[in-house]
Amino acid sequence: MSDSPQEQEIKALGLILLRTGSMLMSNGASTARIRMTIDRIANNFGYDADLFITHRALTLSLSDKDNDHTFSSLKRTDPQGVNFKIVSGISRMSWSVKEQGWSFEQIEKELDRLTSIPHYPRLVLLLLVALAGASFCGLAGGNPLAMCICFAASFIGLFVRQEAHKRHFNIYLCVFFAAFTAAMFAGSFCKLFPNSDLEKAFATSVLFLIPGVPLINSFTDLFDGNILNGMLRIVHGLIIAFMIALGLVCSIAIYKF
Amino acid sequence: MDWIVIVEKSIFGAGAALGFGILFNVPNRTLIYIALLGLTGVCLKNIAIGLNINIILACFIGASVVGLLSMVASKSKHSPPLVFSIPGVIPMVPGIFTYKLMLGMIKLTGETGNNFDTALDDTVSNGLKAIFILMSLAVGVSMPNLIFRKESFHEMTILSRMERKVKFSKRVKRHKRI
Repeated sequence: MSDSPQEQEIKALGLILLRTGSMLMSNGASTARIRMTIDRIANNFGYDADLFITHRALTLSLSDKDNDHTFSSLKRTDPQGVNFKIVSGISRMSWSVKEQGWSFEQIEKELDRLTSIPHYPRLVLLLLVALAGASFCGLAGGNPLAMCICFAASFIGLFVRQEAHKRHFNIYLCVFFAAFTAAMFAGSFCKLFPNSDLEKAFATSVLFLIPGVPLINSFTDLFDGNILNGMLRIVHGLIIAFMIALGLVCSIAIYKF
Repeated sequence: MDWIVIVEKSIFGAGAALGFGILFNVPNRTLIYIALLGLTGVCLKNIAIGLNINIILACFIGASVVGLLSMVASKSKHSPPLVFSIPGVIPMVPGIFTYKLMLGMIKLTGETGNNFDTALDDTVSNGLKAIFILMSLAVGVSMPNLIFRKESFHEMTILSRMERKVKFSKRVKRHKRI
């Protein structure tokens, strides 16, 4: 069965839009941003796009101005991660589409390029997140020794989380492993040197895991009126927070603080 | 106000924001702005606390300034505002209060009598602070977006109008000079 050129075009655009939307959703963009980006690209080619967005699937219905041709489809969204290079790149791409009139092939190529952009090198990531952990300890008023312990605890914790991710554990379980390891490491120093005021290192050693993106995006969504997605994100964030707490509680129970 | 402590904490704020920027894999060109935003937020929060403003309100002030500056940064660096604002507010997250809340809740399950009352007092006080600070951060950071955004930052009215005025006045001055 061969489609007419118009039908082929609307199908190609629909698949591109679904891919764009699911990339945005799984990399930490807010619902309003996804809707805005997809509308911008679709309107540029002269189509109307209607969207139903949830965190695990994306439904798109695309129609041209006279309603002669329509395209509807559903795409599953990959589990949540955070990659702002992709969110930022797609935002720039949507403006290029609008202002420079990109073709479908160019958009496809840009999306391929964005997915293949590497993360920061692993050692840089580990060291800087450990630096963030140490900074948290400093912000909480910890002494330099506590900051060093927090640095090491965050480093080890993030390492465990990455390894757990590689072995395809449940994402919440990965957080639990990381929190537990970091807290056990920092707690061992508190136990060994009880008089050197290291409790702050123990308390802040798990802060590198805080679910900032889901929690802030959830409020953005709630205020935009996307209440369903806001609640989805807030629950996701709270489960992560609960897992962090569980990791801390386990190590408190072991060390009997 | 103890300025040395404020400077020290601001630097820690920049470090924490930078680390989280790397964790969220932000584009390289935005890293320096993220560090500056983290610094500004923590600095403002601590100055506000030094002026005897309630810590919840202080966090709200810090977060809304970070939200506002992230919109300005997003225009000059061509990235969505959330790329700047989320790592920027993370240094203000109340880690110690949340930790104390959790410890208190564990304590509450075991204590009885007078001990229970003191534990309850501490837990409720710390817990409410933690929850309200978190909420004020989330609301504060998305507030500027809600106030100023029309469709997106590119089509924003107030700032672009100001920009146009500046350009116009420059042009007028040039004409006068000629």
